[in-house]
Amino acid sequence: MAPAENPSRERILERIRTALESAAPRRQPAGPPGARQIFPPVGDVLERFKAECKANLTEVIVTHGSEGSATAIQGVLASLPEGEIYVQDAPEFRSVAQAWPGRELRWSSEGGPREASQAALTLAEGLAAATGSILVSCSTGGRGASVVAPCHIVLARFEQLMPDLEAVLGYAHEKGIAAHNSFVGLITGTSRTADIQRVLVIGAHGPRRVVVVLQAGN
Amino acid sequence: MNSAPAQEFLRRAAERAADLTHRQMLRAGMDHYQANFAKGRGRFADWEAARQRCHEIKWEGVNHLDKYLLEFEARVKERGGRVFWAENSEEARNYVVNLAASRGVRRVVKSKSMVTEEIHLSPALEKAGMEVFETDLGEFIVQLRNEPPYHIVMPAMHLTHAQIAKLFHEKLSDVAGDDPVSLVAAARQALRRAFFSAEMGISGANFLVADSGLVAITTNEGNGRLCVSLPRIQVAVTGIEKVIPRLRDLAVLWPTLATAGTGQAITTYNTLVGGPRRPGEPDGPEEFHVILLDNGRSELLADAEQRDVLYCIRCGACLNTCPVFRAIGGHSYGTTYPGPIGSVLAPHLRGPEFAHLSYASSLCGACTDICPVKVDLHHHLLHNRRNAVNAGRGRFGERLGFKLWRWAMAGARRFELVGGVVRATLRALYALGLEGTALDPARAWTRNHAAPAIPRASFRKLWREKNGAR
Amino acid sequence: MARRATLFIPCFVDQLGPQIGQDTARVLQRIGWEVEFRPEQTCCGQPAFNSGYWNEAAPVAERLVRVLRSAEVVVCPSGSCTTMVRHFYPELLAGSPVHAEAVELGQRVFELAEFLVKIAQVTDVGAEFPHRVTYHDSCHALRELRLKEEPRELLRHVRGLELVEMGYAEECCGFGGTFSTKFAMISASMGDSKAENIEASGAEYVTAADSSCLLHIEGMLRRRNSRTRTIHIASILAQEAR
Repeated sequence: MAPAENPSRERILERIRTALESAAPRRQPAGPPGARQIFPPVGDVLERFKAECKANLTEVIVTHGSEGSATAIQGVLASLPEGEIYVQDAPEFRSVAQAWPGRELRWSSEGGPREASQAALTLAEGLAAATGSILVSCSTGGRGASVVAPCHIVLARFEQLMPDLEAVLGYAHEKGIAAHNSFVGLITGTSRTADIQRVLVIGAHGPRRVVVVLQAGN
Repeated sequence: MNSAPAQEFLRRAAERAADLTHRQMLRAGMDHYQANFAKGRGRFADWEAARQRCHEIKWEGVNHLDKYLLEFEARVKERGGRVFWAENSEEARNYVVNLAASRGVRRVVKSKSMVTEEIHLSPALEKAGMEVFETDLGEFIVQLRNEPPYHIVMPAMHLTHAQIAKLFHEKLSDVAGDDPVSLVAAARQALRRAFFSAEMGISGANFLVADSGLVAITTNEGNGRLCVSLPRIQVAVTGIEKVIPRLRDLAVLWPTLATAGTGQAITTYNTLVGGPRRPGEPDGPEEFHVILLDNGRSELLADAEQRDVLYCIRCGACLNTCPVFRAIGGHSYGTTYPGPIGSVLAPHLRGPEFAHLSYASSLCGACTDICPVKVDLHHHLLHNRRNAVNAGRGRFGERLGFKLWRWAMAGARRFELVGGVVRATLRALYALGLEGTALDPARAWTRNHAAPAIPRASFRKLWREKNGAR
Repeated sequence: MARRATLFIPCFVDQLGPQIGQDTARVLQRIGWEVEFRPEQTCCGQPAFNSGYWNEAAPVAERLVRVLRSAEVVVCPSGSCTTMVRHFYPELLAGSPVHAEAVELGQRVFELAEFLVKIAQVTDVGAEFPHRVTYHDSCHALRELRLKEEPRELLRHVRGLELVEMGYAEECCGFGGTFSTKFAMISASMGDSKAENIEASGAEYVTAADSSCLLHIEGMLRRRNSRTRTIHIASILAQEAR
């Protein structure tokens, strides 16, 4: 914003600079020295991921090879009501889409998902085992893909499993995922709310079903 | 304590404090939180280490605020976004309202943002003719009731599910039942149309990531995600203090915020957005605006003693452990931010006539103990008190009282003399049954407590009698 | 190791609860410590400090620093007064000529339970008190001095004493100094909750390290016509086993 349009900018910055110059920063003492482990060890990455997903209600289907994944995806789709499926326009999905006769498809290359979509099918940027989380971005189907439809199906590969948030965020930064996408999202479980007298209800505005098809091998 | 806000506060607080139903409601809410928080804390190998790390990250961000804000701004601009620096509420409001008006916005969807409450954005947009939809369920509920949020994180915690059911039946169509699942479904349906038709989505920011030019927004419901995905104009309103240095700082901030906020390991949707959609992206807004709000924060920054108040990540934990909050609830404070953080902030953000909130505390310190970024909350209440007195805001009677007190404490003989006289007076009055009456100098105490037995002799007198002059 | 303790008797104990001071001395003497009391002491300054009157509190605090000069070990039957000296004197007396001494004083002032367990290293003080007792964690003792187990350890070694935990033992009783009069309704609400929890514990007595809390709690219990009585921990520990 040009200075003339936003004269407050300089004033605010000036006040900040003056504030920081005129008084020394204070920091709380760190306590006992030595590296303090904040999080417990992750353990076996696959087992941990499965356990965390169970806790946060993400369904995990381990498959072997792309055929196994295709079958798993088909199985999930068959369980859903009639309606449009929103699919990330990726080679992995183009190749199997023929297997879904009678299913209306909308590809991400056509735009965002429509209000009445029954499910969205995307890849992932990565998975975090420590929290059972999925990293998505514009490059994995766009913004709406992981939130509009009541069911979100993610096709991920074993190799995408990372131990924790530190790893996933480091990856997102280093590989330029954060830099090259206008949106990056970490999803941990299904949409939920406890705003009605603390009663947990699954499926507020986002998906009430999240399925990770975790593919080992090709 | 003579200010109009102080008088209002006393009235409201007294009313709520006497309300046993309210007390039980809050107790249930806080118990639920404590149980979840204990579980959440147990997921960490070292919760104290997490607090310390978060404290350090915020220390770095706040104590180099200009550097990180400029870095953030540059990155956002690289992404094609716009950054507007607003000195105060009015400037921030005007920017958003003018933007909405100039773009022909008729409907706005909002995800939860305490800053937008602070600047009273919704009424301004509504006055300009726009429809504003709060999409966080708790905010949606209080919006239907036309009241402010009760709590930083749980806006509708003061309402029973029966009250919400009644509200929904009155205000919404197609409410299938009274159970929470049906109520949530009704809200989802009501808001879905808004999400898909709104031209503008407004959010706050939990964090501003300097090295990436990204705004981080956290929700459980997914409403935040829809607000930043569907409308063609996205606006994020944020305090300047929200900036953090690096993307990877979120690896500890996200879980700690979730744990302190609700006891969850991590919130469901942690969203990072920066700039409008890029070519090739399937969806996303065409415009992206970030409003950096000062509104008193740079002054707080200049106060080195209380600068750490700016570390606050608005988790609400301090409210959840505060026995005063439990007694009076979130609407008694009369400020955007209630609870301990609200009381500490009030004189800085609202002005010295809100110093009374810093006195409305027993200084128990539970807030400081739980704060995930280690803000020295209850000590700052003391600092605010000292500041109020030094600014001459202490009541005359009290100032005089403490001058007398100082005199009395300055020597052992006068201390003994004054103490003896006070005791003798009270003994005589109470013997005559005058406790709690207008003649009782301790009636401020005896109004609510049975009067204590007043000893005949002081400790020092007894010691002297037993041990001689030494 | 010095075996002489200097008493620091809070102003309100001196005037309104002298028994607590006497009981503190008795306990220390019973475990073999010599006890001295310096009658020049008046107050630690906390009332003025808490109300924001630091200019009035500072000279009173300086006075106490001087009165307790060269006392090797100071014992105080109050968590809040001990906290005032240890945690707040450094800040209150920043810039004062006795600042360094005040900081140093904070290292040799101890709350009673803290002193017994950590300095005298005694958990059994030879006391007997055959009653069901619950312990209220006063805020300064708990959160500033970090005392939680120490008072309980001492109580567990009192013959005949049955220690029961109340719900929400760590929750503030609502005294908070002038808070109890300026915001009487809030204070009463908090005190009422505390009294309710005490009653629910089934205890005959509630004890704590701070008589200010106990005064407030006593007031609330009497209002509720409760059978539970308050007693300072020093007074329990002073009950000598036969």
